[in-house]
Amino acid sequence: MKKTEFSSALLRERYIKFTHPSGLPIYVFPKKMTTTFAYFAVRYGSQNCEWVDASGNPMRDPDGVAHFLEHKLFENEDGSDAFARFSELGADANAYTSYDRTAYLCSCTENVEDVLAELLHFVTHPHFTDASVKKEQGIIAEEIRMYEDNPWERCYQNLLKLLYRKHPVRKNICGTQSSIRKITPELLYACYNRFYAPENMVLIVCGDVAPETVLAVVDRALPQEFLLRRATGLRVPRETGAVAGSYAEISMPISKPIYAIGIKDGVLGGTPNERLRLELCHAMLDEILFSRSGHFYNDLFERGILTPSYSSGYSVGDGFSFYSLEGEADDPQAVLDELKSYLASVCKNGIADEDFERARRVLYADEVCTYDSTEEIATRLLTFAFEGTELFSCPALLQKISKKELEELLRATVFENRFSLSVVLPSESH
Amino acid sequence: MKPILKSVTQSLSLRVLPTDRFKAGMLSLSAVLPITAETTPMTSLLLSVLLRGTEKYPTLEAINRRLDYLFGTELTIRNFYRGDAQVIGFSAELLDVAYLAGEDPTREILDVVDQILFHPLLDENGYLTEKYVESEKKLQCDSIRSIKNNPRVYAAERIRALLYEGQPCGVPAYGTEQAIMAITPEVLTAHWRNLVKNLTLDCFYIGSMDTDRLAEHLSATLGTSLTASHTAYPTVCSSVPLPKAPRTVSETIEAGQSHLLLAYRSSLTLNDARHAACMVFNEMLGASPVSRLFVYVREKLSLCYSCSSSYRPMKGTLQIACGLHRDNREVAEAEIKKQMEDLICGSFSDAELEAAKKSLRHFLRQSEDSPAALESFYYNRALTQNETTLDDLRRAIEAVTREDVTEVARAFSLHTVYFLEGTLNEEDDVDEED
Repeated sequence: MKKTEFSSALLRERYIKFTHPSGLPIYVFPKKMTTTFAYFAVRYGSQNCEWVDASGNPMRDPDGVAHFLEHKLFENEDGSDAFARFSELGADANAYTSYDRTAYLCSCTENVEDVLAELLHFVTHPHFTDASVKKEQGIIAEEIRMYEDNPWERCYQNLLKLLYRKHPVRKNICGTQSSIRKITPELLYACYNRFYAPENMVLIVCGDVAPETVLAVVDRALPQEFLLRRATGLRVPRETGAVAGSYAEISMPISKPIYAIGIKDGVLGGTPNERLRLELCHAMLDEILFSRSGHFYNDLFERGILTPSYSSGYSVGDGFSFYSLEGEADDPQAVLDELKSYLASVCKNGIADEDFERARRVLYADEVCTYDSTEEIATRLLTFAFEGTELFSCPALLQKISKKELEELLRATVFENRFSLSVVLPSESH
Repeated sequence: MKPILKSVTQSLSLRVLPTDRFKAGMLSLSAVLPITAETTPMTSLLLSVLLRGTEKYPTLEAINRRLDYLFGTELTIRNFYRGDAQVIGFSAELLDVAYLAGEDPTREILDVVDQILFHPLLDENGYLTEKYVESEKKLQCDSIRSIKNNPRVYAAERIRALLYEGQPCGVPAYGTEQAIMAITPEVLTAHWRNLVKNLTLDCFYIGSMDTDRLAEHLSATLGTSLTASHTAYPTVCSSVPLPKAPRTVSETIEAGQSHLLLAYRSSLTLNDARHAACMVFNEMLGASPVSRLFVYVREKLSLCYSCSSSYRPMKGTLQIACGLHRDNREVAEAEIKKQMEDLICGSFSDAELEAAKKSLRHFLRQSEDSPAALESFYYNRALTQNETTLDDLRRAIEAVTREDVTEVARAFSLHTVYFLEGTLNEEDDVDEED
């Protein structure tokens, strides 16, 4: 089995990456804490409802199928569910589906081996029936309604539809009321068989556990049939260029308009390490330009244009990346206009030294604090594992990134046709 | 592991849980105030105004940039209720000096806190800056109105108001728009002067910093500004009176999903010997994915995505919340009540009881890994003069029997049923064929 060890003198931490003969990457991050946290995740999320068959033809599943599958994997053949087994072991389990992955997770403070074995077991033993699929449709229908009643979710969802013309990131992760009704046990098996395979998955364990223990559990718990699987049909959609639409609004019974502004970026290219560097650059730019300590927020806040319900971020996934700014404002269009003129001035005049140093300190502190929680470590390691990058390279990279590099990147990111504004207005009756 | 109490000055206490487990320690500074309809919303407003500017850092931007420079320190405002008391203050994560190339920003951070509390930006007449006061009044009114934006949040707020009507904690922390708009800079300044004159602070630190050194930093900064003496805390724990009969309140909202909430009351508050049994009972009822509400209401009947219960030990209350389609209200309410009834009658398996205890043991053990969870646990206990440690509570939970569970289940009586009916009819969505 291939084994690579990584360590950081600065952070005083280490982890080991193994590649199982089946192709499954296994990461073990030994950490003397009470809680052990683990992920068993697959590179298959809502955006992979578009895939290619063996002849290369584009195929399409109903929206929301990856998320539906995530819910249903918790059901065992004997009618019990995996939660009950974790509970008997005194452990917690959960799962989530994002655009480009489905992650099954668990945490425990005892019985580590049995808990890990259960995680590996339930994810590799699908069991779907007509009755259980029908029952889940009722539950997910309420989950969709819950998000639809949330104006922030609606605003963000509409922003993605404005930013992307084709990329399936524009679709709701849960699907729609009508798309989930099309889901059958056969479809779930087909999706499972297509994507749930060792080389398309990753196992991450962080806690007070020896690497050998984890490897022994893997050998014991993964069924032979699973080890031989190969993933097929994975297609990474990519979308760059102009936004699909620049403005959309809806009305809901709210008290003040809500906005989400997006700046569509390209697809981060190059080697995994080059992409990581770019991502860190964007995280620094986000801190410099849009954080609550930045001039943009404070200027607009003091002038009453922005309110404290404000957040910003840079999102990156398979084949897409964008900045987003969300909040409440009486005049969302004014926020967008101010943003464009602010960015134009930074592109022209450059970044202040003080802002650059501030961002570096903030990101460094965030980086160090990550290593206080086995959950946070495992979560970060999961992203890095799928990206093919090395976790401990971040602090050094942060030191290498120059102000000039950020300025050039900013100039290459901001174009008039990359902005979208999604708004939720108070309905008249309110 | 138990916090060590040190008195820095008469007005400043320090509790420390020394540990080298974390790269970043946690520091909290809190004051405990009684809740009144007049002062509490004003204190909420005051906190926001104080954060807008100080003598040394005259704008919000200047304060934030100073904190960023001090290694990205984030001062989180504390403004919450613990039972019938309002807790205000700040908390911050402090990086261990080992990761700061020898710099220790603790004193500078405490200096920023001192600036915010004791040296706000005042105008030439000695009043809090009118511009900041007016701006924060408007923002606080925005917050009051925005509660209705999310039906889930609104429903939770409504049942809280109904359950705690007439109790100190029934006072909304942000007040009413009318009362907020009537506050002038003069009135708020007087409130601030009165508050700081009587202010005493409790500091809680979890981390590796030397305790004497921290005490020194505190006394050199906040210690010089604080003048009052510690007095007894206002009453924190008290139970909700038993109503003659449970009441049902129904309202409507323009939304697709409806919300059914049930509130129960008991006299079992944090310091009751049966506290651990209450935790086990709540866990069995609706606090985990193997709980009754999850298994029956969600999984077996497929009525909802979320259905859970939460126990509020400071007030001895229990709330159940379920998001569902309006047509399913009666079935869900009957099922929830049936599950409650089963626990009262003792019709549950030993395995369920064991599962709940294991789950709580896991939860308490996990707390050891989180400075914030440790702080919350021990701070709540300090507030109620309760000496229980995490280990004590863990042992008490182990000892809970099925009789204990049925006994405490019986002690919770239904107080209010609140139904927020979503009136929107679903339009059938159309899949995009792009």
